Amino acid sequence: MSAFCGIEGLVLSSVRPVITIAAVGGAKEASTGRARMFKFDPYSPEVDADPFEAYRTLREEYPCFWSPEANMWVLSRYEDIVTALSDWQTYSSAKGNLMTELPGRAGATLGTTDPPRHDRLRALVQQAFIRRNLEVLSEPIRDIARTTAGALAGRSTFEYVSEFSSKFTVRVLFATLGLPIGNEQEVRDKAVTMVQSDPVTRAKGPEHIAAYNWMQEYASKVIADRRLNPQNDLISHFSTAEIDGDRLDEREVLLTTTTLIMAGIESLGGFMAMLAYNLSGLPEVQAAVVAGPELIPDAIEESLRFNTSAQRFRRNLQRDVELHGQTMKAGDFVCLAYGSGNRDERQFSNADVYDLERRPKGHLGFGGSVHACLGTAIARLAAKIAMEEFHLVFPKYSRVHEKLDWMPSSTFRSPLKLELAVH
Amino acid sequence: MVQVTFIDPAGHETNVDVRPGWSMMQAATANGVKGIEAECGGSCACATCHCYVEGPAASAVPAAQDMELAMLDMVVAEHKPNSRLSCQIKAAPEIEGLILRVAEVQS
Repeated sequence: MSAFCGIEGLVLSSVRPVITIAAVGGAKEASTGRARMFKFDPYSPEVDADPFEAYRTLREEYPCFWSPEANMWVLSRYEDIVTALSDWQTYSSAKGNLMTELPGRAGATLGTTDPPRHDRLRALVQQAFIRRNLEVLSEPIRDIARTTAGALAGRSTFEYVSEFSSKFTVRVLFATLGLPIGNEQEVRDKAVTMVQSDPVTRAKGPEHIAAYNWMQEYASKVIADRRLNPQNDLISHFSTAEIDGDRLDEREVLLTTTTLIMAGIESLGGFMAMLAYNLSGLPEVQAAVVAGPELIPDAIEESLRFNTSAQRFRRNLQRDVELHGQTMKAGDFVCLAYGSGNRDERQFSNADVYDLERRPKGHLGFGGSVHACLGTAIARLAAKIAMEEFHLVFPKYSRVHEKLDWMPSSTFRSPLKLELAVH
Repeated sequence: MVQVTFIDPAGHETNVDVRPGWSMMQAATANGVKGIEAECGGSCACATCHCYVEGPAASAVPAAQDMELAMLDMVVAEHKPNSRLSCQIKAAPEIEGLILRVAEVQS
């Protein structure tokens, strides 16, 4: 254990683990014949707040677990998740990858198609996201970070999510995609709403669907504009691209653009909130990265492992699979709990400790294999620059509240608000 | 399990038993082999898991596909005829005994 670390139990909220005594029935129960006293409900607010005790129980006692609440299997060990990610023929994404999928989206985006269709889509957009092609964005991103942090200078407290990370990410996305300025806040609010789910109905509610539809409308206007007035940017290229004379269909263009906007705002914003959440609760780590900004990439990697915002994605089985004494049937959905694999002691020693010197490789903070996050390079670049500039304005800060409200989402995890006090 | 050997840039050898289906990159990062960065997570988008394949099993490794060939043009260390991205080589019985020499620099 290094000098720069914190124990999870000291830094996370005081919400207790979601282990309840319950008799849980269901088809899989009958098939396994095991009486279960444990439940894992990815829709519960307790899991939104702190999934880690439940993850430990899953890994140690139920490594292949049927969750009736999620209506899918849950894989929680690092090795099992990597195996599933490596085998897209068995663990298909074509029926959706979000735990609670949006209507009509599966089969039309990078994350919801399998090779070879996936590779065709990815080949069109990938070049724009390769690290060396992003260097040109460094200075514009730094200007945005400087301006956004500078606007808060002199404040003794502020709300990091709405006043810094959201403003920063939406401005970066608008600059990157060349989107017209004016309604950034509305675009951000819709992107955040569409990834959420209703904890009571365990589905998307009307407000989430409305946000998703709004985003599709917005994306379709941007695409129409780029076709009329092509520019040298990703959406122009993507919306007019042909591969071997085969043009992308309208649904692919629309839903991939919608997903890029959603990911660019919500996923990057969620991750930045988790990074600030970690640093604000670990004074030694914070002091180390403020004194040595060259350590920020190490803090980013450990945050991706320790507290990733992309907690759980799903796959659909294409054949029966035997695992840990259970039979998962073809057609069943399977949750890959990245956030749990990242805490698996079999892979990461002292996994519940945030260790700035760990420099973890092979973590699941961006998923992995063919469906690893397209935006790994821009996410790392933007988060690094944002924190460098943020720390120039705020070299010491802490959380105002220990107990936070967390986003209701079966897929992602981040605080809705993060009040910080400046010292 | 498929046994392969990684040789890191400092010359340190690591024998790894790899689950069939796992990529050489996953095997390397999961076993602490130094020198593999794998920034993109295995989606063939960063060229930072560059290795040179050696030994009798090297000829049994399936040829690189178009996406890998395009990324191999971007490697920072010398691009040799036996250069491969380790995220694109999957463990299978025919590559038993493969030696992967990790490129001395990745980015």
